[in-house]
Amino acid sequence: MRQAGTYSGILSGGISGRTGPHLLPLARIKKIMKKSGDDVKMISGEAPIVFSKACELFIEELTQRSWMVTMQGKRRTLNKEDVASAVAATDIFDFLLNLVSESDRSGVDATDHPLEMDALIRS
Amino acid sequence: MTPFHLTSFMQCNLVSGFAGLSILQPAGNSSNTNNGGSNNNAAMPPPCIVREQDQYMPIANVIRIMRRILPAHAKISDDAKETIQECVSEYISFITGEANERCQREQRKTITAEDVLWAMGKLGFDDYVEPLTVFLGRYRESESEKTSLRGDPILKRGIDYGPMVMAPYGPGFHMGLGHHQGIFDAAAMGMGGFYRDGSGAAAGAGSSSQPSLTNNFDPFGQFK
Repeated sequence: MRQAGTYSGILSGGISGRTGPHLLPLARIKKIMKKSGDDVKMISGEAPIVFSKACELFIEELTQRSWMVTMQGKRRTLNKEDVASAVAATDIFDFLLNLVSESDRSGVDATDHPLEMDALIRS
Repeated sequence: MTPFHLTSFMQCNLVSGFAGLSILQPAGNSSNTNNGGSNNNAAMPPPCIVREQDQYMPIANVIRIMRRILPAHAKISDDAKETIQECVSEYISFITGEANERCQREQRKTITAEDVLWAMGKLGFDDYVEPLTVFLGRYRESESEKTSLRGDPILKRGIDYGPMVMAPYGPGFHMGLGHHQGIFDAAAMGMGGFYRDGSGAAAGAGSSSQPSLTNNFDPFGQFK
């Protein structure tokens, strides 16, 4: 990895010379963290930075696993069902099971989630 | 009733659980128990769409990361993109919730990077912990370099770095010439920041001092 020079590191600012540009916006990450619970108080500056990288790894892993399902189906388009299959097949993605198995936007086969849209569609 | 097509509400997702709770309601109306929503079958107010974006990572960024994995000919359906976008937010919430619980148990107010790493390990994402630790280490180095260059490097070398730097970091702790720990910022201090062998400019990925990073760095040492 190219290193920023001793002084140009300051002039260019940020850490892009070291860790690469962040692919994911830190402020948005922080917002999501805060929303995760009413009692989330303070978040260190480094925590969103760890998450920015962690989310990359997460997206990569989820994509990789989903694509394998796509290939098994001899298809070239990764679709939502492939993602759902990958989630179902991966233990650590159990927390996503409800999310990926919810009725999709136009579906009527609602799961047991009392979402308004589900009731709306079914009424 | 015809299926309600949400193509015009691309970012308006039916997510419950950790992320995106107040999805379809205008602000201030978070109760979702009014007769199963039969009163709310009017057109969704447009502001909901705008607010939705705040709950997720920008989809373009998500797609960019996905494309790093996929072969060139691969296509991604729109609903897959959105699903993964939602999963990312859920992931952040999931990990943060666990990290936050730990902070509360230990009566700390601030969720630190170490808390996040710990939560990931606990929740099964231990494969991520090491690369993230390396990543965090490089970030801290770059930050300490920035602060160390604020003053005259020659003068700063004479500073007594003091116990706050030495104590918790074990026998392997090195202070390179290029690092001026007297000035590093509070965040790094609180985290238990660590420093590799320095050589003026901190090395990047190819540094020969790379092994000392993981040898000396115990992210959870202060919590034992």
